This record gives sequence, structure tokens and C-alpha cells, in this order.
Amino acid sequence: MPTRRLVIQAGLATIAAPAIVRAQGLSGQITLMSYAGIFQDNYVKTVIEPFQQANPGVKVNYVPGGSSAQMVGSVRAQKADPQVDIAIMDVTTSSIGNTEGLFDKLTPAEVPVLAELLPEARAAGGEFGPAVTFDHLVLVYDTQNLTPPITKLADLWRPDLKGQLAVSAPPNIQGLALTAMVEKMEGGDYRKSIDAAIKKLRALAPSVQTFDPNPDGYSLILNGVVKVATGWNARSQLFADQTGGKIGTLLPPEGSVFQINTINLTAGSKNRAAAIAFINHALSQGAQKAFTERMFYAPTNGKAVIEPKAIARTAAAPESRARMIGVDWNEVIKLRDQWNNRWRREVISAAR
Amino acid sequence: MTGSTRLNLLVLPAVLFLLAVYVWPTLGLFRNAFNEVGPTGAMVEAWSLKTGAEVFADGFTFELTLNSLWLSLTSTLIALVLSYPVSLFLFRTNSRFRGLLAVIAIMPMLISGVVRVFGWLAILGDRGLVNTLAQSLGLISTPMRLVFNWTGVTIGLAESIMPYMILALLAGFGQLDRTLEEASRSLGATPFRTFLRVTLPLSLPALALAAGLGFVLSMSAYITPKLLGGGRVFVLATEIFEQATTNTNWPVAAMLAIYTLGLLLLLLAISNIAARRLQR
Repeated sequence: MPTRRLVIQAGLATIAAPAIVRAQGLSGQITLMSYAGIFQDNYVKTVIEPFQQANPGVKVNYVPGGSSAQMVGSVRAQKADPQVDIAIMDVTTSSIGNTEGLFDKLTPAEVPVLAELLPEARAAGGEFGPAVTFDHLVLVYDTQNLTPPITKLADLWRPDLKGQLAVSAPPNIQGLALTAMVEKMEGGDYRKSIDAAIKKLRALAPSVQTFDPNPDGYSLILNGVVKVATGWNARSQLFADQTGGKIGTLLPPEGSVFQINTINLTAGSKNRAAAIAFINHALSQGAQKAFTERMFYAPTNGKAVIEPKAIARTAAAPESRARMIGVDWNEVIKLRDQWNNRWRREVISAAR
Repeated sequence: MTGSTRLNLLVLPAVLFLLAVYVWPTLGLFRNAFNEVGPTGAMVEAWSLKTGAEVFADGFTFELTLNSLWLSLTSTLIALVLSYPVSLFLFRTNSRFRGLLAVIAIMPMLISGVVRVFGWLAILGDRGLVNTLAQSLGLISTPMRLVFNWTGVTIGLAESIMPYMILALLAGFGQLDRTLEEASRSLGATPFRTFLRVTLPLSLPALALAAGLGFVLSMSAYITPKLLGGGRVFVLATEIFEQATTNTNWPVAAMLAIYTLGLLLLLLAISNIAARRLQR
């Protein structure tokens, strides 16, 4: 026989239900894994903090995960008991996670903001996590000690730059992007062959001081070790600002290649609802605008309205877009070992 | 419980610790080595010898092995030549600062490997101490290439293994009996001849011990080849790291790691046998 207490409890539960559901949807903690350093600092300020203000019940823990490959390795190692809910990493490694079932597919029903994304942003992840930032390969140079400054990719072969270059070789994706760029500069197409690029790069090898810049090319320029390095646009732009213009950024007229970071939902996330809400937020116009204006990654949300001054410094500027070489990373990644071997045997071996 | 059983119990904590932090992960490494990798880099769970076959059919593995052995050999020889007099001095000196001097000799061990390597960059770089000095003295016009190549890695590695070799030499000098040298001198041998015929032969076991240790340490060294090699020096340790953390190719990394482990065990065995033979 239903007691009076039971009836009251049931009634109270009914009244409270919507609030409980709401609270259950957006409470607790989620863990986001991505790059350390200035990426982390700025992502926390422009994307995570506003999300937490809008959702006071949710705490977002940012875990720096090293390189993209290290991140997918961590997610792989935690497959049985995922500790990370969302991972932002390079598309070449997130696609590995997608294939291995480490990440979940995302549907427009769950993530409505997907409808606002640029087609190439959605295409980057297929049915899985889409692109969250676009970046591109640039040449970074010392504005104080390099006269005249470099103005094109072919300038890397300038005799006065002998011993003054830091070039990230494959398997680093900067090296893969550079290979496609040099092949294009030489009139070829990386899909068919990279013979021309390898020949040209071999001639560059004696000018290269290091093929493995540590900690990175920007620091080597700022410390006066080299004068030109390969780098990513967003970080270069930020370092240029932070150092009062000591380093310059060049998007070569011969063309450049997009680097794509995707945002990925871990399969088996322990707080899926909050993680989905965060992905919706990260891809929203507001968050995309804020992060682009802070760090000069091109937005992936086509409806985000960015300050013209900021957009001009990203790959989304019309004149920059026109220079981009269409590189399908999913194809390049299959060629990586082969390119890597050719660099080792034919390029790097050309003595310093 | 007998005395020896009780004694055996003493090693139990260490055994349990090793099982948890060494044996278990190593078994995981073995497991990974038999997985396969798809064309895009995704790992496919399997019990297959395909990865192993690919690794050992690739001429680059052989090249890496030779590179590692060559680097270890040169660094060890340089370090041995430099460490031997230092150790001999420390062993023989009656200075009241002997303890302090010994600490100074092994001090590099107390500094992080990364910091030490960046120190070498400051010394050997194109605009480093050596090049600046040589240029200001008019000895050279363009900087010598001393880092981001084999030269830099060999120098850095030799320096990094020296403290270990000095300790090994000091530990192995037990048989170096001063009275034998005095006997040699009193029988008319020159100091050089005494060194050559008495001191050096008596220190051979110590030298073998130190060389074995230095060689094994060099074979497994990662930081120095990575940071001073400028992407030009390919050895087993850097390749394992590259495969695991840049290529996301765990099976190849695991296979190479097991292979390197096997090589190191073999080298240790050889060095132990050599040291024992020399001691007789």
C-alpha cells in the first residue's frame, strides 16, 4: 500500500525532475587534452573560461598532451578507462583515433553547430570530430638581422642563408607540408611524384643548420641560432607580437599548406553531455571569433564574424586562401613513410 | 622459517617493485610488437610477425644498428682516454681535497641531461665559445660545424658518460698495487715503462668494466643524439622515440625497443666476460 511518504516523495521527484535532468546534463568535470604553452594559455582564456561562466556547474580540466601523436597515444592507452573527454589534435593523428574507435561520431542532432561549419571543416573529420582551427605553414625569419628579408620560398636557397636555416624534416608534418610546397614551386604535383622537390631540397641541405629544431624554430631565431625557420602561422603571429616584431612571418607566394586541428569526443567519455556541450561551444561563432582574434588560427565556423585586422593575419584572408595548395592529409599520411625515407636517404644525408 | 628463507624475503619488495614498473610494461612492449599497423597509421590488434619482418627486412634497421654501435664505440673510446688519467689521479692523490675533487669529477651526473646539452650548444654552436674564439684569433673565417652533426653528438655523449666511467674505473682499481710500481721503478724501469708494463695491465679489468658501462649507456642514450644531432644523427634510441611519438607507430617502436634491449644484454654479457677474463 502506498504510504503517504512515498506519495510525497514521488510528487517531489516529479517537480524536481526537469532541474535534475538539466543539472545532470551540464555538471561535473570534463577533461580536454591539447597542446601546451601559448595554445593552452589562450584557449583557456578565450574558449574555456567563457564556457565555464555560461555553465557554472561544469569544470573543464585542460591537460597538456604533448604532440598530437603523443595525445592519440594517451587516448589509446586509456581505451579501457578513458580519462579524457575531448582531444584537440592534428587531423593526421585524429584520423588514426577515428579508425581505431577511440573517438565517437558526431551528428548534427547532437551538435547543431556542425551546420555552421565550412564544408572543408566538416570534411576534415568525416562523420567524426570536425576541424576546430585552420593554420598553415609559413617561413619565419629574423627581422633584425636578415637583410633583405625573405619574400618567397625560393629565397631559402639564397647563398647568404647558408647555415642559417632550421627546417623541420619529416615525419614532422611541417616537413611533409614543405615537400608538397617545394614540389609545387618546381612545377610538379605531390600526388604524382616528389622527385623535383627532393632534388631541390637536397640542394638546400648544406644550408640547413638543423633538421630537428629544439625546442622550436621560433626560439632558435629569437636566440640568434638561425635566421629562417619553418613554422606555423598562428604561433609565428603571436610570437611576432610578443617580441615586438623581432620575428617576421611569410606566407610564401609559391603557396602553402593547411594544418588542421580537429576536436574529438572520446568514445566512452564519462561526461558525454557536458563534452558535447563544450564541442558545440568551441565551434560556435563566439568562441571561434575570440580564439582567432587572440591567436590567429583561421576559424572553421563560416558564420563567425572576425575583425578584419585579425582575419588578415590568418589563412582565411582571401589572398591567403588563394595561395593554398590543396593537400589531402589522409592521402599524404599514407605516403609519410615513403617521403620520410627519401628525406633521410636523399636530403638529410647531403652533408652539412 | 630458515635463515636463508628469511634472507630471501628481504628482496621481496624490490622484486615486487620491479615486476610492477619494469616487467609488466616490458610485457606490454612485447605485446605491441606483434600488432600490425594499417596504411594510415592505425594500430590493428593481432598476433603477427609482419611488423617484425618489415623491421628486419628494412636496410635502415641495419644502418641504425651500425650507427648506434659506431657512436657508442667512438664516444666510449674518447671518454675512456679522458677518464683514465682523471681516475688514476683521484685514486692516487693524497690531497686533502680528494673527496671534493671526486665530487667535481662526477658533478655532471647531478645536472639534467637537457641542460648539459644546451650548455654544449652554447659552447660548440656556430656563434658559440669555440667558434667565436677561433674566429677572433683569426684561425678560421667561417664557423666550424661542431653541432647538429655526428661531431657534436660524439663530444656530448663522451662527456655525458665520463662521470659513470670515472666511478667504474675507481671501483675497478682494486688490484692496482702501488708496491708493484715501486718494485718496477727500483729495478730500473722508467716511469713510462712502469706505466706501460705494470700500471696499465693492472688497470685492464677496470678499463673493461668502464668501457662496457660507457658503451651500454651510449647505446641507449637518447637526449644527446636527439638534441645535438640536428636531425642528422639516426640511432636506435632516436628512431624508437620517433616511431612512437611522431609516427604513432607503436608496433615498430616496440619491435625496435626489444631488438635494442637484446643487443644491450648481449653487449653487457660480452663486457662481463671480458672483464672476468682480464681479472684472472
